[in-house]
Amino acid sequence: MTNRIKEFRVKLGLTQEELAKKVNVRRETIVFLEKNKYNPSLRLAFDLAQILNVSVEDLFSFEDEK
Amino acid sequence: MLNISNIVLEIFNILMKRIVLMGVIILMVVATVYLWLSNSGFSEGEGPYLGIIALILVFAVFLLIRRIKSWKVGEPQEDELSKKVMVRTAALSYYVSLYLWVFLLYMQDRVTFDKDRLIGIGILGMAIIFALSWVFHHFRGVPND
Repeated sequence: MTNRIKEFRVKLGLTQEELAKKVNVRRETIVFLEKNKYNPSLRLAFDLAQILNVSVEDLFSFEDEK
Repeated sequence: MLNISNIVLEIFNILMKRIVLMGVIILMVVATVYLWLSNSGFSEGEGPYLGIIALILVFAVFLLIRRIKSWKVGEPQEDELSKKVMVRTAALSYYVSLYLWVFLLYMQDRVTFDKDRLIGIGILGMAIIFALSWVFHHFRGVPND
């Protein structure tokens, strides 16, 4: 699974720390998300999409790894 | 007004509780080592044990500082990623620790081991495995699952 969190975050002019505070997680969680080293819970995915003003489908894309 | 100050105090208490608890554990370990050394004195054979305990204390202090920093910045001390890292750390360290104990029991038949020493090595080994496992998962993240 890949995401475009960094792209949308930069568009809104938010820092990682500000985004982390808005969705109530640690800054390092945002770092891992942006590096695609962590897949968030559904709750966090929806929170991120809401804060970044995009849909979850736009934010995350899934490629079958078979 | 009184209600608001009570709520603020309650939140402060919850956040501080974990930090204070960790600080108390570190102080207890330091006090135990101090009592151990003051009662039996320091012999050269105990150097490696003290070194390992010092490493574990450094790791604990690192975690404590991390929590204090998070508290100061106003971010949660734990979130879904850190909880997942901790769960995986616990699972991996438990699994590896089983092999450590099997190895120690195997060695016990071949090398003359004092029972106290065997248990001491086992417990310190488990602590080291836990710390290494945490470092591994913390830097690797929790990818695709």
